[in-house]
Amino acid sequence: MALLEIRNLHLYMRSFEGDAHVLNGIDLTLERGRIHGLVGETGCGKSLTGLSISRLVPSPPARYAAGSIRFDGRDLMEASEAEMRALRGRRIGMIFQDPTTNLNPAFRVGEQMIDVALHAGQVDSGILGLGPDASRAERRAAACRLVVEMLGKVGIRDAAARVDDYPHQFSGGMRQRVLIAMALIGRPDLLIADEPTTALDVTVQAQILRLIRDLVDEFQLGVLLITHNLGVVAQVCSQVSVMYAGSTVEDGPTRAVFRAPRHPYTKALLAALPREGLARGELKGLAGSVPSLLTPPRGCRFAPRCVHAIDTCRERRPIAEEIQAGHTVACLRAAEPVA
Amino acid sequence: MSVAPHDFGDFPRSAAAARFEAWRRAFYRFSGSRLSVIGLGICVFLVLVAIFGESFVPYPQHVTGGIAPRARFLPPSATHWFGTNELGQDVFTLVVAGSRVSLLCGFAVVFAAAVVGTVLGGIAGYYGGWTDDLIMRLTDLKLTIPGLILAMAIAAALGPGIVNMIIAVSLSWWPGFARLVRGEVLSKKEELFVLAARALGASHARLIWRHIVPNVLGAIVIKMSLDMGFAILTVAALGFIGIGVKPPTPEWGSLLAIARGYMPEFWWTAVFPGLAIFLAVFGFNLLGDGLRDVLDPKARR
Amino acid sequence: MLPFVIRRFLLLIPVFIGLSMLVFVIGRLLPGDPVQLAAGPHATREEIAALAAEFGLDQPLPVQYLAYAKGLAIGDWGRSIQSRQPVIDDLKTFMPATLELVIAAMIVAILIGIPTGLLAAVYRDRWPDTLSRAVSLGAISIPRFFLGLLLQLALAMWLGLLPLGGRLPITAEPPPFLTGFLLIDTLVARDFSTFFLALQHMAMPAVALSLSPLATIMRMMRASTLEVLSQDYVLTARALGLSQRLTIFKYVLKNALSASLTVIGLYFGWLLGGTVLVETVFDWPGIGLYATRAITTQDFMPVMGVTLCIGLIFVAVNLLVDLAYGLVNPKVRLS
Repeated sequence: MALLEIRNLHLYMRSFEGDAHVLNGIDLTLERGRIHGLVGETGCGKSLTGLSISRLVPSPPARYAAGSIRFDGRDLMEASEAEMRALRGRRIGMIFQDPTTNLNPAFRVGEQMIDVALHAGQVDSGILGLGPDASRAERRAAACRLVVEMLGKVGIRDAAARVDDYPHQFSGGMRQRVLIAMALIGRPDLLIADEPTTALDVTVQAQILRLIRDLVDEFQLGVLLITHNLGVVAQVCSQVSVMYAGSTVEDGPTRAVFRAPRHPYTKALLAALPREGLARGELKGLAGSVPSLLTPPRGCRFAPRCVHAIDTCRERRPIAEEIQAGHTVACLRAAEPVA
Repeated sequence: MSVAPHDFGDFPRSAAAARFEAWRRAFYRFSGSRLSVIGLGICVFLVLVAIFGESFVPYPQHVTGGIAPRARFLPPSATHWFGTNELGQDVFTLVVAGSRVSLLCGFAVVFAAAVVGTVLGGIAGYYGGWTDDLIMRLTDLKLTIPGLILAMAIAAALGPGIVNMIIAVSLSWWPGFARLVRGEVLSKKEELFVLAARALGASHARLIWRHIVPNVLGAIVIKMSLDMGFAILTVAALGFIGIGVKPPTPEWGSLLAIARGYMPEFWWTAVFPGLAIFLAVFGFNLLGDGLRDVLDPKARR
Repeated sequence: MLPFVIRRFLLLIPVFIGLSMLVFVIGRLLPGDPVQLAAGPHATREEIAALAAEFGLDQPLPVQYLAYAKGLAIGDWGRSIQSRQPVIDDLKTFMPATLELVIAAMIVAILIGIPTGLLAAVYRDRWPDTLSRAVSLGAISIPRFFLGLLLQLALAMWLGLLPLGGRLPITAEPPPFLTGFLLIDTLVARDFSTFFLALQHMAMPAVALSLSPLATIMRMMRASTLEVLSQDYVLTARALGLSQRLTIFKYVLKNALSASLTVIGLYFGWLLGGTVLVETVFDWPGIGLYATRAITTQDFMPVMGVTLCIGLIFVAVNLLVDLAYGLVNPKVRLS
């Protein structure tokens, strides 16, 4: 059984102008011990997909019209807020883009982490290595030990002393390490990482990615890595899903998708990457712009920008089809031998 | 990089469209808030009363100081809705007539303060340097001195009279506007200079008119509507202390001050002018708060 | 922390100088001839000249200012031309009454305003929020002299529950002067019956005075809480399973409080000047009444003294708030 299975997820967002259809049938399968990349342009709904798994999208304005999110066999769309809270921080960890704003500036980092550890310990007393009837003080002491241990694991030197520091006393990369430690303190099975390296320098970025990969091996984590950076995907992801305007358009093993992209959007994305040996001015962009999600195109959402689009594309929404083992594409013309 | 002339020509038109769109949204948000609409209703009602009320009052002779010694201290009744006061004057008539003085003074104060503050703040923001330092230090200092005491001192210095009172209050009021305008101008100045350099030929005056004025104007209107309530309150307070509008001109604050001596037996002489002040201040505060909510991006949350 | 404190103190010097100059100008704005007024209608020309000389009023203005500034530095704040009393003594008598009232009002405002503002933000756009907005706008809008009159009418005149005005009944024996705060002095003297009398006298004016800061603090707290609630770290806390209660009462509260602190400081100084009306209504022997009397008799030394004193307290309170802000905000403290 897969760790996470999202099927046909539809999400509408109410706004001043009307209801925007922001997620249009997301499909995604994530296995334990894997890093699964979720790529797409800003506003394509990849962050909303991540937040939806933890059920953190406020409703209203959000409205889920259809779909299921199965986590370890359980449908999270049916779960109550209390059940979700027991999962968050314990079985599902999350990290976000900007490490400077995701730690509370007015509290010591240790304090913030201890609260997460205590929460995880409340859900599952085994996390703190204590029996269910341990006293408050024992729990706090155990949580404190766990915090120091986790900080050490993510490469914070002299962790025992640094728990008393405030967030602004850490560098950006170190803060992201702290946030990773905080997300992993409950020994989660799933880590949702939303653009974890976007706000960091390139060198720090590589360190953080390496750290995530090591932690996947150590804890047998499943990671959903949300990013707009194809290079990051190529470096660490074994699987990748490509999103466009609220739909998954292509999904499969990273190698297969990157070597032989089948969806015109994926092709365009890969072609837009700057490459060695490319003369100046040869950088390719994609003509046109993302469609309005208030009045999305009737058929394929990429059709208005697609050079291969035919009339049927504008009429019928493409269904994802498996064209090779594990490699699916949602394009009506994927089976045709087009360039 | 060169910019084709038509690119720049397009800019104001799309900006105007965006502004129109913003106003449309603002109106939608404003009308969605019941309290704001109630505030608008109260304000419109008060303005109408202030303009036309005096023509419909039951005892117009009392507005100009006429008295009726035989009708002293009559409790509220069908003939005297709010009762009569120590001079036999109809309290309803006085309260209606007082609306004109209060609203007019309130508006005059806010308007004068806005003009003075805008000019000083604009100069400070636009020229910067020592002019800016001087004006801003002055406003800082001004903010450490309680406005009411300053207004009292100036009002006492200038002597009684409506105009003097308006001058006194607006002199203690302008620093808020100066700070606001300076901030707006500073934040727009950089953009403005970039535009000016690009437009090559478009004069600063035109750019100020096109780009700074509309932006600053919005902020000033919000502050004016927010301040209107407090200005009415301050005018009434000065009347209450006895440094401001003096009888026989009917003014809510001074009506209240006189009535204070006849409590508790003749409570109506105090309660109705007090309620009128409350209603006016409340209405303008609701309106201003609602406007700020929809127009000020910083307060939108 | 220490360099921060020292820097803030040094910044006060130009403020003091500017303030004293401004106050001097305001004092000189008062019209008429105060000497003539004080000397009485039947004074001879020689008597008036003597009085003017006695107060240094025959000197040119810059000389007068220098004399005034020199006096300020050594604690001589001039004398009332009416009562011939040193202004500094009057301030010592009247200031504690006003301060006590303002502090009581601020305590009421903070104790009610902070929790209700937090509540309004958490229940944003639902009925607690709408109610708090209506109540706070109402509270700001009601003139405090009118509210005072209504309270007097209802609680003192009709129901007879509370005294009409003043700090203590004339028959009561005031406690020995220690701080000038009756509530503290009576407790120190273990005179509990006078303590309760003082408390009863303070109740109405303190409530009348507290309403507008209460409303402002509530709105401020609401805004800053909403601001904090939209921060990324709140989402992170939620995403890692922390309960709403813990998030709000521990993490959000501290951040939102530090944002509201500044306003509280500003308001404190503002309220000192705003007591005039409440003191008039409740016959409260504070500096508001003192200043009103001085202004109407064009007695400029007391007017200058009061303005300067309030300005200084305002600056001092804001300094304290800055320091407190540094305590809550580690970034300010450590940098």
